[in-house]
Amino acid sequence: MANIEIDAPGTSQLLIGNEAIARGALEAGIGFAAAYPGTPSSEILGSLAQVAKKIGIYAEWSINEMVAIEAAAGASFAGIRALAAMKQNGVNVVSDFLANLVMTGTGKGGLVLVSCDDPSAISSSNEQDTRPAAKWLDIPLVEPGDFQEAKDMTKWLFDLAEEMGTICMLRSVTRIAHARGNVRLGELPNKPRKAHFEQVHDLRNVMPTTFIPIPSPFRHLLLHIKLDKAREKFESSPFNRYVGPDKPELMIITSGSCWLYSQDAVEALKLKDRVGILKLGTLWPLPERFVIEHMSKSDKVLFVEEIDPFIEGNVVELAGNFPPNAARPVFYGKRSGQINAYGELNPDMVIKAIANILGLTYQPRDIDYSKKAEAAAKSNVPDRTMTFCAGCPHRATFWSIKNALKLDGRDGFVTGDIGCYSMALGPAGFFQVRTMHCMGGGAGVANGLGKLGQFGFDQPVIAVVGDSTFYHATIPALINGIYNQSKFILVILDNSATAMTGFQPHPGTGITAMGEPTKVVSMEALCRSLGAHVEVCDPFDLKATTNTLLKMMTEDGGAKVAIMRRSCELVRIKKEKPPYKVHIDIDKCIGEACGCDRLCTRIFLCPGLVWDKKAGKSKIDEVICSGCGVCVDICPQGAIIREAA
Amino acid sequence: MTSKGCKELISEVIDTKLCALCGACTGNCPYLAYYKGRITLLDNCSKTDEAQCYKYCPRTYIDMNGISQKLFGTSYGENEIGTVKDVLMARAADVSIREKAQYGGTVTALLSLALVEGLIQGAVLTKTSSDKSPAPFLAQNADDLLQCAGSSYMACPVLGRLNQIDKIDCSKLGIVAMPCQVLSIAKMKAEPPQNRVSIGNVKLVIGLFCTWALSPDKFYQFLKENLELANVRKFDIPPPPANRFDVYTASDRSSFPLEQIRQFTMPTCAYCLDMTSEFADVSVGSVEGIEGWNTVIVRTDAGSDLMERAKKKGSLQIDKLPAPNLEHLKEAALLKKKRALNEIVKRSGDKKNLLYLGLSPQLTKKLLA
Repeated sequence: MANIEIDAPGTSQLLIGNEAIARGALEAGIGFAAAYPGTPSSEILGSLAQVAKKIGIYAEWSINEMVAIEAAAGASFAGIRALAAMKQNGVNVVSDFLANLVMTGTGKGGLVLVSCDDPSAISSSNEQDTRPAAKWLDIPLVEPGDFQEAKDMTKWLFDLAEEMGTICMLRSVTRIAHARGNVRLGELPNKPRKAHFEQVHDLRNVMPTTFIPIPSPFRHLLLHIKLDKAREKFESSPFNRYVGPDKPELMIITSGSCWLYSQDAVEALKLKDRVGILKLGTLWPLPERFVIEHMSKSDKVLFVEEIDPFIEGNVVELAGNFPPNAARPVFYGKRSGQINAYGELNPDMVIKAIANILGLTYQPRDIDYSKKAEAAAKSNVPDRTMTFCAGCPHRATFWSIKNALKLDGRDGFVTGDIGCYSMALGPAGFFQVRTMHCMGGGAGVANGLGKLGQFGFDQPVIAVVGDSTFYHATIPALINGIYNQSKFILVILDNSATAMTGFQPHPGTGITAMGEPTKVVSMEALCRSLGAHVEVCDPFDLKATTNTLLKMMTEDGGAKVAIMRRSCELVRIKKEKPPYKVHIDIDKCIGEACGCDRLCTRIFLCPGLVWDKKAGKSKIDEVICSGCGVCVDICPQGAIIREAA
Repeated sequence: MTSKGCKELISEVIDTKLCALCGACTGNCPYLAYYKGRITLLDNCSKTDEAQCYKYCPRTYIDMNGISQKLFGTSYGENEIGTVKDVLMARAADVSIREKAQYGGTVTALLSLALVEGLIQGAVLTKTSSDKSPAPFLAQNADDLLQCAGSSYMACPVLGRLNQIDKIDCSKLGIVAMPCQVLSIAKMKAEPPQNRVSIGNVKLVIGLFCTWALSPDKFYQFLKENLELANVRKFDIPPPPANRFDVYTASDRSSFPLEQIRQFTMPTCAYCLDMTSEFADVSVGSVEGIEGWNTVIVRTDAGSDLMERAKKKGSLQIDKLPAPNLEHLKEAALLKKKRALNEIVKRSGDKKNLLYLGLSPQLTKKLLA
């Protein structure tokens, strides 16, 4: 990660968008940062935590987004500038708190929520636009269009948040969060604020200690006044700008990374003198006068934005209020079909939309070239499906789950959750996962399934969660399953890390975001204290794990817990040497013959095992094999040999 | 011959409840597994050509005549109780074996002798564990053998254990098997399988008489619900007209009406032709009306050799089987064949489906009459 605390104003640093946001927060004098990891947001808190001790701020990986935003609000109430960062799904989790927070207002410390959306759901369970949340929650919303803006906007947003006395939201997307660009640094403040919770009435910021006597509608009115003030500021914001001819044939209205795509598209089509780009940085409340002023320059408007028609909807709504005989441009975008309302955009898509509207023909590149480029790209990538790493304990766990469910024979199944193990929807986990929704959702769904006995339901239900997901959102579902005696097994894949997002610590790891040792919250002690029957398994012991699951499936009573404890291979490998050296006894390997049919390279599919087609035998890929030795126990011919390394 | 694999095994044999739980398809196959009275397909295997699970299943195509010719040099069906060198009555000379045995202890005595004489190094048997559930077991000494004495009347996939035995470590094996299992072994002997324990290593097949076996899942559940299983010493079905299933504890005997027990019979047993394990080296059963003795059918040279040794070493007390007993045995064996063939026709609705047994037209005609 880049050095975000370098005190060199005026110099440029190469930063990813998330680091630029973190730097912006530092320049704003942030004192408190909290987050729950989630791609593409994780590096914001990650980079802040790295420098927190040195520069005297506090940073934590919270147990979930809800606690992160609440904790940050706490800091704000005591006058400390605070930031909470999360991916799109986190905004859903925190929405109830936000809906109340906007009514009370924040404290004297500015409070900023950073939401990182993942268009195309590259690393997400769902595709979702969080910009509409800002609208329905009455939260001022901005979106940076490049890396410099990511920093500058964040700093500026803290000032705005503090002045308005309400939480403000910065929305980013994967291509800003994870791309890298030059950022000119500003000054870092050197006077830390003193934290104190003021227990006095403050009409500007309706403080939580005094909100009881004030009726909600009045607080709602105050909030709308705040929003109007924000709108007024947005009208003259330097983050909104128009570049293009005075009378463009087509006006593009865009924001964020789509601004970059729009510039590329106009450039590629050589239409700079015919097409103008109105770039918005402040999205909600809409700077109406600014938009109307520029929109009136053209009679054609194209909205270029990813996922939802957020700007499009708000501008069309605005045009709806024009006087009856006023001129209205023709609007192009998602409603008219030129721009998709799903998936990421790219310059090609914008080019196609512009060409379509202006009646141009454009061949982005010749078809042979794109085929060749695709082939060249593929030649550098090993031909394999998305899978768990070699030595991943999840593969072993799902092997045992699969066999236990099959042997049990009652058509049992797995409700899944969010993490690396979501891949068990596919061949990596032998297609075992049947449902996957949100953090903790699998255990919740299992609660319902586990109560259907009276309707003839006797399929065993296994809810699978990761260790971090367990702490994040599964505990209430487990308590419910114990209290309401719902029949399911909660399998916790305890690999001692929030592995999918980059090994962030969680309450089971005994270390804080700032690297301090802390008390481990034991999951088995917690579950046992709730009255659950708890088994702790070593997933690498396939036989014992399978038998434990088989036994638990036949037991009566409510929710049970099976903890699969094995460190994430990527964590282990940094600390220890491989336990085994694994090789194939080619005399014993029968390959495709009856009695094996390539079980290891056809079903088990550890990337450390490869099929030597020519020899008709399996082979260990010594570079990839991590020496876990689990495949030894699945080989029906005893042809895989492990020797202590 | 067959171009079928595990999918067809599941659809044609297991899903249709024709599976005898012999275990032949398990043990060295990673895809098929036995658990609690059921064969399960764990993953899809792509083998179809000569897939051994399908090929050696006693409920798939079987060339009875061909196998009989190969094993005995005689065509199938000439005798109701199969190819016979000798029929005798025997019991273990050792009283301690007889005390533990179901009837006369002949099987235990023969295996014990075969081990001592070095004819076999181990024997795959059914062991009834302390909770009275049957499980396959490799016995390698006299103590092991005694632990396996007695019957639970439940099917047990001993062939799965046979398939697991290392080819090198155990070059001379014995096995005690039910008729369905003996049939599968006969298929293997006629056309030796690949990548499994060499069938040539199986030096001694002792077949048991069987009219039907009980489901190890449902019947075991029934026993568990009705008895304190830890105290059970022995199960027994005394000969007709008793019509009882007896359960002995150390001090007591309780009984269930046989009708109540019959509901737990494996459905597949209704389609089985073989009462006396016709392709074994030696077949052993009870002797109707003569308590504490076994009927012994000697079928092969290996069987004769073993019986000779038993006589010489005094391991067995041997006597002639009374003629009426032999007649009755033949009647019963023929009745089972007739019943089975008629059941197959009834179920499949077509005599053509009997082709899978490879019986001669004359025999088919005789049995269906």
